[in-house]
Amino acid sequence: MSRRERMMDDLDQDIREHLERETQDNIARGMRPAEARRAALLKFGNVTRVTEATREVWSRVWLERLLQDVAYGWRMLRKHPGFTVVAVLTLALGIGASTAVFSVVNGILLKRLPYTDPEKIVMLWWKAPVTSTQAPGDEWPWTLRDVAHFKARQKSFQYFGAFKSDFFNLVGSGEPMRLDGLRTTSGFFATVGVAPALGRTFAPDDDRPENKFVVILSDRLWREKFSSDRGVVGRAVALNGQSYAVVGVMPPGFSFPRAEEMPITMSLPPQTQLWVPLEIPPAPRGPSEYAVIGRLNPGIITATQAAAELRQYGDDVVKEFPSAKGWYEPAVVPLPRQVVGDTREPLLLMLAAVGVVLLIASSNVASLVLTRSLGRKQEFVLRGALGAGRARLLRQLLTESLLLGGIGAAAGILVAELALFCVRNFGPSNIPRLQAATLDPRVLLFTLGITLVTGIVLGLVPAVGISRENLAESVKDGGRAGRSPAHSRLRNILVVAQVALALVLVISAGLLVRTFHQMLTADSGFSAMRVLTFQLSLPNSKYAEPEQMAQVYTKTLLALQALPGVQSAGLVSEVPMGGSTDSTVLRIPDHPPQDQNDQPFANYSFASLGYFSAIGSPLLRGRDFLASDTADSRKVTIINSAMASKYWPGQDPIGREVGVKDTRWPTRTIVGIVANIKHSSLREAPDPEMYVPYTQNEIKIWPSMQTMQAALRTQADPEGLTRSVRDALLGVDADLPIANVTTLAALVDDSTAQTRFTLFLVGSFAGLALILTTIGLYGVVSYSVQQRTHEIGIRISVGATRHDVVSMVLGSGARLAGVGIVAGLLAAWAVTRMMSTFLYGVRPTDPLTFTAVAALLLGVALLACYLPARRAAGIDPLIALKYE
Amino acid sequence: MSTKGDNERIELLQGTLDLLILRTLRLGPTHGHAIAKAIEFSSDSVLQVEQGSLYPALHRLIKRAWISVEDGTSENNRRAKFYRLTAKGKRQLVVETSKWNRLAGAIAQVLRPARQESES
Repeated sequence: MSRRERMMDDLDQDIREHLERETQDNIARGMRPAEARRAALLKFGNVTRVTEATREVWSRVWLERLLQDVAYGWRMLRKHPGFTVVAVLTLALGIGASTAVFSVVNGILLKRLPYTDPEKIVMLWWKAPVTSTQAPGDEWPWTLRDVAHFKARQKSFQYFGAFKSDFFNLVGSGEPMRLDGLRTTSGFFATVGVAPALGRTFAPDDDRPENKFVVILSDRLWREKFSSDRGVVGRAVALNGQSYAVVGVMPPGFSFPRAEEMPITMSLPPQTQLWVPLEIPPAPRGPSEYAVIGRLNPGIITATQAAAELRQYGDDVVKEFPSAKGWYEPAVVPLPRQVVGDTREPLLLMLAAVGVVLLIASSNVASLVLTRSLGRKQEFVLRGALGAGRARLLRQLLTESLLLGGIGAAAGILVAELALFCVRNFGPSNIPRLQAATLDPRVLLFTLGITLVTGIVLGLVPAVGISRENLAESVKDGGRAGRSPAHSRLRNILVVAQVALALVLVISAGLLVRTFHQMLTADSGFSAMRVLTFQLSLPNSKYAEPEQMAQVYTKTLLALQALPGVQSAGLVSEVPMGGSTDSTVLRIPDHPPQDQNDQPFANYSFASLGYFSAIGSPLLRGRDFLASDTADSRKVTIINSAMASKYWPGQDPIGREVGVKDTRWPTRTIVGIVANIKHSSLREAPDPEMYVPYTQNEIKIWPSMQTMQAALRTQADPEGLTRSVRDALLGVDADLPIANVTTLAALVDDSTAQTRFTLFLVGSFAGLALILTTIGLYGVVSYSVQQRTHEIGIRISVGATRHDVVSMVLGSGARLAGVGIVAGLLAAWAVTRMMSTFLYGVRPTDPLTFTAVAALLLGVALLACYLPARRAAGIDPLIALKYE
Repeated sequence: MSTKGDNERIELLQGTLDLLILRTLRLGPTHGHAIAKAIEFSSDSVLQVEQGSLYPALHRLIKRAWISVEDGTSENNRRAKFYRLTAKGKRQLVVETSKWNRLAGAIAQVLRPARQESES
């Protein structure tokens, strides 16, 4: 029994006793019992009213009234199923799309990383100087020397680790398997702060030479290769011909770092499968190839302080080696920011796009609500006359619109769930943490928020009309369809805004389409048709010397070229879209450096004869490599046209000399020029590049040809050749693993996945916006035709032709659309410049796109007006005049 | 609501009845009928409250936790609901009384010049 019921029971009893006492008192004063009772009742007052008043004290009046309003609103919605269905569907699309996009944003940008105190983890880089092969300011990795020296003196970090990717051949039962792994210093796991599922992570002295043969497995590797054996810790596995002891297994889902989370230059694998210690020798040397991660000291140290310490270190290095000037600008990037990488801006773009869709959807529904509220004027007039205050009517309207919003949101959540399902299953795989996009409480809170805002705005829109209108006036004409200027104006404003918003969105989508088209048609320097590629990694233990490597590559090449169905085959350090290549500072006798900042440089790749024809990039000038280019013959190189025009502008580079900066190695003679072959993205600007025949590589340590990629141009379906390729390689060396077997077309596809995804989403939103705007425009124009039936009837009866009527209606629609288009063009002109990072080969104010989209919108607008115009022309003046 | 009524009876201001109840209960817990009688008696029947309207007020005070209700037996051994002032109610009584005094003082001040005007 609730307190309220208990109190009401008490009251009944109390009133009975009160009356009893009063009656007794009256009897004591000498009244007769019946009279005494009546007098008591009279003095008490109306018992029912007292009971009601007391009940009201205990009741939650607002709740009861709310239920009343909701029930009434529900009845109204059911009475107008057409309106309700259209409004709910529109809201569901708007709210659903917003919810889906927000959950992606939430999953990628807002959710905490699953590491201990992720905000304390930072990545440390150097900024690439202007003279480097990368865009200035890009993350530049560390040398092992700097890692060792900085580690020894740093005070900012509690833990500190360096890492780079490496591959490991797991040889044993069955086919040799190539595993993507990571070499890390011992501080890596402590920095990331994730506990192993089994065993331990690296101990501080695991990176000592005597301890370094230990390995930590990923959960996936442990399941797939070690059949989830919990006794795996302590067992020995053979990697690269060495015996490693398994010390730990990481929990499911942990494969940090993934390729998409780190700069592309780090060439990290999509999924790290194992971790082995990275040994730091006493006097480390070698190239910049290590990423450095650190956990800030608890309490005092901020990322800025850490950056200051790093800067001090850089300054000291430059003091010691003045030639290093410019290469030691620190960049400290918080890990949460790092792993988001380049996805942040596309996501914000999508959020903006979906926001526009939501605005259009809501204004569409607002327009509908407005139209319907005119139909309901009589109802409001009547209720007003019966004493319902303005506040009461407003509350009723708000309840109804919130109810509408609530139903729309419920349907919208289904839409979002469906959209997320599609994105998770068919979306690009190289967007970090896309899988983390779920409808979690924060997303639902967001949905609730936009629903409330939408509902309140929708409720207030018709209220504007109510307050502005003279209700008494309406009573006079029976509350019938008298035209309301306030409402018409509001509806016109809404539809103009819709057209403008849709125009901005469609122009944005158009610019992205043009970008995508430019990307695909711009000269990539290769042709991806029917090219099979895979990666070959030579085990260190077996092939250490460049001559040994060259021998096995020659054997491989001959075996591949001999395969039936292969038109041409070649080897190269990195196939197009296979990742970035090494780069180095050059020595060009024709181009002696003027000062420290004028060091010539180029990407430095190894290639074989046949490679350029295999990827469909014929030589522009000169000759391809020949079988006669051997270690003993004249050293040659082929350069790309970017290098030719950069270092020999207006001259013929064939026959000129170029070499690596280190004078221990002789220069090479340029024998050919090829197109600029893009490496990691179709939209990259070409870098100078030189190709060295693998048969003439004299440098042992770096750049290395330990890993090469093969490209095979085939006569038919390239993937059909996979089996015979594997068999051919087993014939070369049974322990030679091949990895990443795929087609060049698939690599190109992957490289454009994110652009396509953005384009697809923004394009869908633009389409949605266009449809909603069309519906909105149609609604407004047909409503005005309906309103003007009488007037049009008169016009026809006095001689207006069918054509006159159609053009009059089309004209009024076109005027609205025209104002919207002009406003939209201005807005787009202001807004699209913010998109310039997404664009390639097209200006943000591309006149072609602007004109085409404006024409499209005008066409769609006229189409939307055509039906009501025809209806208007078909009005029978007799019926129209009787109607009034 | 009503335009004509018996003007001799003073309509209670909102909250006045609450104050009268609290004052009555300061003398000790008692039942509803006794409260009605006490108000009637102590105001010399000028404040003619419909006895029934006492009850919504009592419940309002219970809800605010200014008074509490309990079962008890009255002087002539009859069962009754007894209303008792709570500690919070006692504090509130002080607040309400001073509020009322200020209001009464203010009204008196407003009325004084009016009377002088009419006299002159």
